[in-house]
Amino acid sequence: MKNPGKIAIWAVIGIAVLVIGFMAFSPAEGTVENVDARRLADLVASGVRVIDVRTEGEYAAGHIAGAELVPIDRFAQAAATWDRTVPLAVYCATGQRSTTAVNHLSGQGFEKVYHFNAGLVAWSGTLERGATAAAPAPEPTASALPVVYEFFTDT
Amino acid sequence: MVDRLVKEYEGKIEFRLLNAGTDAEATDLMMRFGVTAVPTFVFLGSDGANEGKIIGAASEQELRAKLDSLK
Repeated sequence: MKNPGKIAIWAVIGIAVLVIGFMAFSPAEGTVENVDARRLADLVASGVRVIDVRTEGEYAAGHIAGAELVPIDRFAQAAATWDRTVPLAVYCATGQRSTTAVNHLSGQGFEKVYHFNAGLVAWSGTLERGATAAAPAPEPTASALPVVYEFFTDT
Repeated sequence: MVDRLVKEYEGKIEFRLLNAGTDAEATDLMMRFGVTAVPTFVFLGSDGANEGKIIGAASEQELRAKLDSLK
């Protein structure tokens, strides 16, 4: 080997060029900031776009005023049309589905994403409801048994 | 776990399992019961009275206690 020192220097330079090149040409990952209920309330008051990724039923039963409904199963398709420079706040019921959503946004290069990671169960503010007039009474059971409803989701 | 309880309480309690994302009647019922998070269990007595709900993943012990208290 002629000059091990020079080889080492060129190797370091080569690696540095590769790293810089990768950083320059790979899609930029956005910034995700976890926020609590108080901070989210401030963001809502300041007019930040708020996205609710729960189901239609959950949303209709109560949502943060002004939040847009984008269920998680339709989220990626909807987000593909959004301006990546506009800050977004995202929430679900407990933070599970919204984590999927904010990871997607971050990977797609959205510049600023606020994640209400505790979810709506930690929200102490008022909730807006959907149209309530049409909510029917549940049908009584023919045998007059007690009834248990379980509301669940696959996502 | 719920499937097991459905079988065990057959003839004593009626279970109505609704997918909040796909079942058409889920939205109206969730509004009626104020269900803002899934999973949630809502309990009604045989007279139709609302006997409360459990929000979030319930343990079998917790569910059994509630089921056994229903009349």
